[in-house]
Amino acid sequence: MADIMTGDAMLPGRSALAGRAGMNVAAPDGGKTGLRVQEVAHIGKINIRGTKSIAKVIWNHTGCDFPPANNMVSSAGARHIVWLGPDEALLLCEAGMERDLRRKISADLAGQHFAATNVTDALCVLKVEGPDVRAVLAKGCALDLHPGKFGPGQCAQTVLAHAGVTIIATDENCFLLICRTSFAPYTLDWLQDAALEFGFVFQG
Amino acid sequence: MLIINCPHCGPREESEFACGGEAHIARPLAENSISDAEFADYLFLRDNPKGLFLERWRHSAGCRRWFNIARDTVSHEIIEVYPMGALPRKKDALATHAASWRRDTAAEKAAERAAQKAQKPAQKPAQKPARQKAAAKKAPGKRGGK
Repeated sequence: MADIMTGDAMLPGRSALAGRAGMNVAAPDGGKTGLRVQEVAHIGKINIRGTKSIAKVIWNHTGCDFPPANNMVSSAGARHIVWLGPDEALLLCEAGMERDLRRKISADLAGQHFAATNVTDALCVLKVEGPDVRAVLAKGCALDLHPGKFGPGQCAQTVLAHAGVTIIATDENCFLLICRTSFAPYTLDWLQDAALEFGFVFQG
Repeated sequence: MLIINCPHCGPREESEFACGGEAHIARPLAENSISDAEFADYLFLRDNPKGLFLERWRHSAGCRRWFNIARDTVSHEIIEVYPMGALPRKKDALATHAASWRRDTAAEKAAERAAQKAQKPAQKPAQKPARQKAAAKKAPGKRGGK
């Protein structure tokens, strides 16, 4: 119990979609699977509130610009800063590093007006990709998902089938979908249903 | 469905937003000089015009920030999106703000008086150190300035 409460080398708990298997649906036309979904389990997530004045400290720890441009993601290696609002961003880091990183950022910013909150277990990240990923997402969200309007490096907070999500375009046909952990099973079920006509694979 | 131009996120669908009702309603603060009926004007009465209306909106499923909108309630046309705490810039919207019945209510005037009163004691100690105690007594909430 002590390890769970205080230890840094904490074993990750059960991921949001652990144990969900057997959901695959073959493409009806026998061709390529239209949508592949994978849970990016335990990736570190830190919510950061603050103005430009904390940019240097954030850059020292991540190599990413803070704040990122509106509706954009700033990336450096395995660390990404996702724009959430004029003074708010989500920092994604390597799994297991979030506690250490949050502590270092907080120590360097001591006395300044900011907030860094570990939200790793509150949110679930899904990697959704495949030739029909934009068609599937468009069924449940009103964003203009044309590659010319929503390309790699862009992000948006919106609703996907009534569930609040943050959508990040990482590549032409690859997105990260960040939803609340409690909404993860619902989002996965909805994605499967929406992808029936294209074929669906879930790699847990 | 409206397409609302969020000042931070850009054009998004109406379902992502929450409407916060009429904008530019000044709270009379701790002003006890107005009657209950006059306070009720502030608390309960809202305008419902046919035509241009100034509203507060929040991008609840996006950046979660508040802002103001000048919208025509007949055509649903949004003629201006502007920040909280500011007045609209468009002539029509500004005229709508000035023409509102609310500008003449006792609650609105009490809010103005309270705002002026709150500003005065904060300046006095710097100009007249001898009277600092008296000024602090008047507005205990404003104490602690260096």
